[in-house]
Amino acid sequence: MNDTRLKGLIISQSSVFFASSLIFPYYILFIKNVGSSFAQFGLSYGLFGLSSALLHPVIGRFSPLIDHRLFLVVNAWGMASVLLLFPHVGSISQVYAIQLLLGMFGAFQKHGEKIMIAEFTDGAERGMKIGNYHFWTSIFSAVAIMAGGYLADYFTIHFIFYMSSALYFGSGLVVMRINSNKSILVKKDKGYEMSTEK
Amino acid sequence: MKKLIVLAICTALYTSFVIFSLHKPSSVVSDDHMTDVGKLMPVKVKQVVKETELTSIKEVIEEAKREDLKVSIAGKRHSMGGHTYYHDSVVLDMTGYNKVLDFDKEKKTITVQSGITWDDIQQYINKHGLAIQVMQSQNIFTVGGSISVNAHGRDIRKGSLISTVNSFRLLTADGEIPTVSRKQNEELFYLALGGYGLFGVILDVELQLMDDELYEMTTEKLDYTEYSDYFREKVLDNQQAKMHLARISTAPDSFLTEMYVTNYELASEEGPLQEHDELRKERMTGISKFALGMARNFDWAKDVFWEIQKQYFLKANGDLISRNNVMRSESKFLEYEAENDNDVLQEYFVPVDKFTDYIDDLRDVLTAEELNLLNITVRYVNHEEGPVLSYSDEEMFALVLLINQGLSKKEQKKTGEIVRKMIDVTLTHGGRYYLPYMPYPTKEQMKRTYPRSEEFFEKKKQYDPDERFTNFFYEEYKQ
Repeated sequence: MNDTRLKGLIISQSSVFFASSLIFPYYILFIKNVGSSFAQFGLSYGLFGLSSALLHPVIGRFSPLIDHRLFLVVNAWGMASVLLLFPHVGSISQVYAIQLLLGMFGAFQKHGEKIMIAEFTDGAERGMKIGNYHFWTSIFSAVAIMAGGYLADYFTIHFIFYMSSALYFGSGLVVMRINSNKSILVKKDKGYEMSTEK
Repeated sequence: MKKLIVLAICTALYTSFVIFSLHKPSSVVSDDHMTDVGKLMPVKVKQVVKETELTSIKEVIEEAKREDLKVSIAGKRHSMGGHTYYHDSVVLDMTGYNKVLDFDKEKKTITVQSGITWDDIQQYINKHGLAIQVMQSQNIFTVGGSISVNAHGRDIRKGSLISTVNSFRLLTADGEIPTVSRKQNEELFYLALGGYGLFGVILDVELQLMDDELYEMTTEKLDYTEYSDYFREKVLDNQQAKMHLARISTAPDSFLTEMYVTNYELASEEGPLQEHDELRKERMTGISKFALGMARNFDWAKDVFWEIQKQYFLKANGDLISRNNVMRSESKFLEYEAENDNDVLQEYFVPVDKFTDYIDDLRDVLTAEELNLLNITVRYVNHEEGPVLSYSDEEMFALVLLINQGLSKKEQKKTGEIVRKMIDVTLTHGGRYYLPYMPYPTKEQMKRTYPRSEEFFEKKKQYDPDERFTNFFYEEYKQ
C-alpha cells in the first residue's frame, strides 16, 4: 500500500520538480528584465524566502488537522495559477507580490513532501526509498533545465510558463489520486480508507 | 462523487484561468533603456513619452528646445540601426497617436494620425471594400514609421509608399506645422518621406486607397537563372498580375539556386470577393516558429524548412485571396526572444536584368564566409525618383535577407564585415542597400548608394540647425 502511495508521490513531485526547473533559470532572466538593480533582485528573492519562512510554523501547527495531500495540491494548483500571471507581469512591485506567493506555495510543497515521505516510509527501507525519491525528482529537474532552454529558444519564454503551469496542474491531479492515511478533509466520504489513521 | 465534483470545479477554474491568461495581451516592460528590434545597441535614453494629443506632442518639442534636449521619433521600432532613439534623448513614442481623422469613400482617401498601424487601417477600410495601395508585407508597422523609411511591398504596379501619400502635416524643429505635399512645401515632402525622422514629426497623413481586389495565387518553382526573363514576361507584361513575391533558397542543398515565385493575379470572376474578404487573423504559428528555430541552429533543418515552405506555398496554388489579406502576412513566428543572438535584416536592391550575375557573386561571398542566413525573399520595386534618399532609380528586385547573428561585439564585427562585402557586390551590379538596418555600411558605401545623401544632410542642417531631431543613424552618417 505504502509503495503505491510513494509511487504516486514520486510521480507527482517529479512533475512538480520538472515544472519548476523548466521555468526557474528563465524566471531569473525574466525578473532581470523587469527589475533594474541588484538591490531589487535581492529583495525579490529575500521576499520569497521570508514568506516561506513565516508560513512554515503556521503550516506545522495546522498539519495534524489537515489531509496532508492538501499541502501538495495547494502548491501544485497555486503554482499552476500563478504561472499564468507571469506573461502579464510588468512592474517590479508585481514581481515582489509573485515572489511572496511563490514562497508561500513553496512552503506548502516542502512541508507536504517531507511529511508524506515520512508517512509512507519506515524502518530499514526508509533510507533507500528516500534515495529513490530524490533520484527521480532530481532526474526530472535536470532534464527539464535542459529542455527548457530549447523550448524557450524555439518557442517563447511565455510558452514554457504555460507548459510549466499545465504540468503543475497535472501534478495536483496525481496527488489527488494518492490514497491518504489521514482523511480529515474527506472524512465523511465512505469511499476512503479510514483505517490507516495513525 | 464529491471528489469528482471538486476535481471538475478545479479543472474548470484552471481552464478558464488559462484562457484568460492567453487572451489578455502581455505587459510590455518599459524602462529607460531603449533599443529596437535589432537589439544591437541598447542605450539609456532620457525619457520615453507616449502622447495622444497634438498639443502634448508640441509641448514635448518645445520643452526639448528649452532644455536643449535631442528628440528621436519612434513607431514600432522595427528599424534596426538606432533610427528611433539616441542616448539621453527624449524618445517620442508615436503609437498612441493613432486615430482615423477622415475617410472619403468616394475619393478613396483616408486621413490618419501617424501612429496608427496598417492593421488598424485595414480593419477600418475593409468593410468599405477598400484596400491599401502600398505598404510592407506585414501590417504591424505604423504609418509614420513606414513613411519615414519609404517602405515598399508586394505590389508591382504602384511604386513605393511615397506614391500613395497625398499629403501630411509635419511638426518641424521650430514648432511650425506646415502641410506638406507635392504641391505645398514640395522640398520637405521629398526629404521627410524616407527621411528617417530627421525633418520633424509626421503628424497626420492623407493616403490614397484603392478598391479591394480578389486575386488568384499561382506558385511555381524556378531556377534562379530563369527568374529575370520569367518576371518580365510572365509577371510585368501580364496586366492581370498585381502583386508578386519570390523566395530563393538559403538551404545548403539548393543554396541561392532554387526559387519559388508566387504571383497574385486578378481572379477572373468578380463576384466572390465578398466570400474572401474577411480579414484573416494570425493563425497558430507554433510549427513555423519551431521550424525556424531549428533552422537557426542546424543546417539540415534549413533544408527541411525550405522543403516545408516550398510544399506549403505550392499547395496554395490556385487559392483565392483578397488584396487586404495578402497585405497582412504572418509575422508572429518571426518574433524571437533570446539573450545572446537575434534575427536581423538586410535589404538589397538590384536591377532586374542583373539578377543572375548578382546572385552568382553573392553566392561566392557567402560560401566563403560564415553567415547564418535563414531566409531571402525577393520582391519588385518600380522606378521611383522623388525621394532624396531614393533606393530605386530603375526597375529593381528587392532582396530581404533574414540573418541570425550574435549580439556580442565580436559577432557584430564579423557580421559587419560580411555585410560590407555584400554591399560591395550589390554596388558593383548597380544595386543599392536599404537604410533602415544596422549601421554596418561605411560612409563611403552610403554615399555611393545614395548620391544625394550630401544634399539630404545639408538640408537637414538647414531645416533643423540645432539638430533637435537626432538618432544614431544620423550621428553615424551625417557628413
